[in-house]
Amino acid sequence: MKKSLRTPLFALLVITTIVSFSSFIGGPSLFTPKLKFPYKKAGLTERQAAAHLLSRFTFGATTAEVDAAVKMGLENWFEQQLAMSLPDDTVKQLLSSYDALQLSNADIVKTYPRPGKILQMAVKDGLINKDSVNKTDRPEYRAQLQGYLKEKGMKPQQELFRQFINQKILRATYSNNQLQEVLTDFWFNHFNVSITKNDCAEFIPVYERDAIRPNVLGKFEDLLVATAKSPAMLLYLDNFVSSGNDMVANNRVNPNNPKPRQVQGLNENYAREVMELHTLGVDGGYTQKDVTEAARVLTGWTIFPIEDYGGGGVQNARKMIDRIGEDKLEGLGFVHQGDFFFAANRHDKNEKTVLGKTFKANGGYEEGMELLKMLAHHPSTAKFISRKIAVRFVSDDPPQSLIDKMAKTFVDKDGDIREVLITMACAPEFWEPAALREKTKSPFELAISSVRSLNATVRQPFQLNNWINKMGQKMYYYQAPTGFPDNGKYWINTGALLNRMNFGLALASNRIPGIIVDLVKLNNNHEPESTEAALMTFSKMVMPERNLDETIKRLTPMLNDPDLVKKVNDAAGKTTPVVEPNMANNNDEMMMDKPEGDKKPKDRPTRNNDVINTSMLAGNNTMLSQVVGIIIGSPEFQRK
Amino acid sequence: MASRRGFIKAGGLALFGISVGGVPSFVARAANSRKSIGLYKKNKILVCIFQRGAMDGLMAVTPFNDEYLKAARPTLSMSAAKAQDTTPLIDLDGRFGMHPSMTAFEPLFRDKRLAIVHGIGSPNNTRSHFDAQDYMESGTPFNKGTSSGWLNRATGLLGHDATPFRAVSLTSSMPRSFYGDNPSVAISNLQDFAIQLKGNPMGANMAAKSFEELYDQTSSALLNKTGKESFDAVKLLQKTDVRNYQPANNAVYPNSPLGNSLKQIAQLIKMDVGLEVAFAESGGWDTHFNQGAVTGIFSRNVLDLSTSIAAFWTDMGTYQDDVTLMTMTEFGRTVKQNGTGGTDHGRASCNFILGNNVSGGVVHGDVKTLAIENLEDGRDLAVTTDFRAVFSEVADRHLRINNDTVLFPDWKGQKIGVMNA
Repeated sequence: MKKSLRTPLFALLVITTIVSFSSFIGGPSLFTPKLKFPYKKAGLTERQAAAHLLSRFTFGATTAEVDAAVKMGLENWFEQQLAMSLPDDTVKQLLSSYDALQLSNADIVKTYPRPGKILQMAVKDGLINKDSVNKTDRPEYRAQLQGYLKEKGMKPQQELFRQFINQKILRATYSNNQLQEVLTDFWFNHFNVSITKNDCAEFIPVYERDAIRPNVLGKFEDLLVATAKSPAMLLYLDNFVSSGNDMVANNRVNPNNPKPRQVQGLNENYAREVMELHTLGVDGGYTQKDVTEAARVLTGWTIFPIEDYGGGGVQNARKMIDRIGEDKLEGLGFVHQGDFFFAANRHDKNEKTVLGKTFKANGGYEEGMELLKMLAHHPSTAKFISRKIAVRFVSDDPPQSLIDKMAKTFVDKDGDIREVLITMACAPEFWEPAALREKTKSPFELAISSVRSLNATVRQPFQLNNWINKMGQKMYYYQAPTGFPDNGKYWINTGALLNRMNFGLALASNRIPGIIVDLVKLNNNHEPESTEAALMTFSKMVMPERNLDETIKRLTPMLNDPDLVKKVNDAAGKTTPVVEPNMANNNDEMMMDKPEGDKKPKDRPTRNNDVINTSMLAGNNTMLSQVVGIIIGSPEFQRK
Repeated sequence: MASRRGFIKAGGLALFGISVGGVPSFVARAANSRKSIGLYKKNKILVCIFQRGAMDGLMAVTPFNDEYLKAARPTLSMSAAKAQDTTPLIDLDGRFGMHPSMTAFEPLFRDKRLAIVHGIGSPNNTRSHFDAQDYMESGTPFNKGTSSGWLNRATGLLGHDATPFRAVSLTSSMPRSFYGDNPSVAISNLQDFAIQLKGNPMGANMAAKSFEELYDQTSSALLNKTGKESFDAVKLLQKTDVRNYQPANNAVYPNSPLGNSLKQIAQLIKMDVGLEVAFAESGGWDTHFNQGAVTGIFSRNVLDLSTSIAAFWTDMGTYQDDVTLMTMTEFGRTVKQNGTGGTDHGRASCNFILGNNVSGGVVHGDVKTLAIENLEDGRDLAVTTDFRAVFSEVADRHLRINNDTVLFPDWKGQKIGVMNA
């Protein structure tokens, strides 16, 4: 029964793959486009549709980019984004000095030790007397520690996170493959791990690079398996300690059986969250019994020892591996894949039943793979994932009809994320008036769409990060495995909203160090004749195809008050902006030391690859930057 | 007490009645919602302080007669006996002594406003800071996936109309305790509550007016409502001189992060903007190295903690009846001191609860002799009081929230009487 169903499905898959592959090779123009977006039926012009499409699948678009999408055809633009293969030389160049991004987890551990570990080593090497450890906030002491690190070829861990956060901002700002960046952000948040948990923190850059990024448009199963095996996830949700040797449930205190510190036993955290948050959803039809049984299936899934990280269990594994010999592990049922390790000796070998499926005794590593496969393809997963994608790209409360269509594709196409996105974009619900401008930008989206719309030059990405934090989104630090909630209500509160407005004003007036805006150049070196003209020109440029009549009507009388304009300009003339453009590349934000070899290119390209012209920057036209700041902070620009 | 409330009631409603500008619409609305049910009652306020890093409860409040403790901590234990060369512990009840740097707490304890719960902690024996904080803040010690924090759920259970200042965290990002659907604000500095353009106040003023116009006309209900509330809040804070705040009763806050946070919470409380749940943090408790005893790192930490809280209490003056303050920390530390003059991650710790309706002047809880057979895992002070028993009782008695199935869904324990009935 099962087999007969499988064959035609497989054949269909092969055909789909061939079709999409050939359309990519031959270029979109050779074939009639496979896709058809039904925006005309929703009453949208092609340009309006393009603005909507780009607002959802990029981190923000300029008028010129909307025009370009219209010119090439909306469906072709989408296919090109799905192919994720546009050249990205700008990003490559910008990231070339970020040495940490290429490292393996093992090298990261060696190069960027945890602060506590640095201290331990320094005490051990006799550099620091252990009685003076509590005086580490003294400058000379810090300098001593810096010297020690340099001598050892190591760097402080915050430098790793600085590079990691900066790369996210630079890619989101400059990459031509915008959809890939949007999806990397989406899937990371879905499979959230957090720098707030020290145990997994340094493994997060590799997690995003190797587990998330390559799989964002592939099969959901591949994404799930890649996250399940990644050290970041194994440590974040504790599966690395889970063992079948002794059934002490999930750290629950057992007064009759006091254990030494390293409790050996079952840990259900990952098993629960993989069902509740990653696949089936909380109402996906599993029980506590299923959670426990799934945890037993996954016992022994741990990290391969990296230096001395991962606590007692992992270090015991190191001793055991040395004793057995690496070459003999496979024969004994152990599995070693990169940083992932299946410790057969910690695996619960008995029979288990999860969601009605029996896993026979002695299933070993393979039963974990089977479990993940089953979860990845479960009908509840199809619905749960489809809804989550629709919430991100359509509205906070997407129509059930749309979710059903997407879930059907998910099931029919073997969990192919690319196909699910196509179904969504080809559905009328995507284009309905109820969906337009309905999503509220997250702080990250607001910041990136602002710099993209203004074609700003991002020299010090971390400065942008500071504002994103202030507006309520500390990237990579969300503590709970749920990831950031994806709805406007979460992002918009009084404090955060005021910070959004202040961000607009600060950005447009060049008061964010290392983020350079040239408004006059943006308008083809043409200075608007009046504030009213500035308002018209820049609103349309920053928010293409929006109805801005009311915005303009409300603002015009205020901006036309000649006294006010004069006062504002006079008041501003007495101060200078904080950014001196020719100094901005000296110092990439607040690191206490700047790593050697981390030389920044003298001039960074703007998004259209010009070298910026510094002559007209900053503060010459206060009223103009004021107007643009108000546009960025306006309610209309908070929506996408 | 009664006369102050009477004045506020009359004044507030009078202002509202003649709709003089300056009363934020959210305050009016909240006041009005109470009026409509015929009951004007000032809100109770719960202030929570999370001591991140795990405070050594055995050093903060020491069972000083315990010979096992003295043996386990050759350089970290202190005596309550008066001596010439050192400052003794503050003897609370003949068995427990508060750290000598916590003199600011002594009158509050003697006055029966300050209670201590010893042996408090989580039923989950994790010794990871991250996990233990996560569990304590979500209020579900065995479930990582709980999306909301317990204080957010508490806010949702308050029932009546909210102002945007109902739940405020004086932190730069939203704490786990505040995660959830009920609106809350994280702000590290009240002065940031303004439209700002450095060096150009005139421009800021003009921008503020423009933003107000725009948020007034937007078709997004969410942005419209929040925008209105934001500008109301800005105007309100402009009227108050936030920068030059003068605490009442000559209270002096330490110039520390916690002191500044509590000072700003006091300001919000006195502004009557509808604050009901406030949150602040205190750091530096992870004392693996050179913890110190009478002096040193730990001593400085408890000095800051106790003087900040005592200053806040003094400053509260006539508001004291409305406020209960509670501290919490993710776990305690090992009974035995380690090789580097500190202590490692343990199990139970203690916490402090301050308020006029607290069953104060008592060290609650159950601390057994620290003989090895009484220790959890043979090394740590055993958890004898589930933190949820205390949090739930404080929420119940002070905020009148007694829906424990929402607040602490998996908990079915007993309250221990830290609050007066």
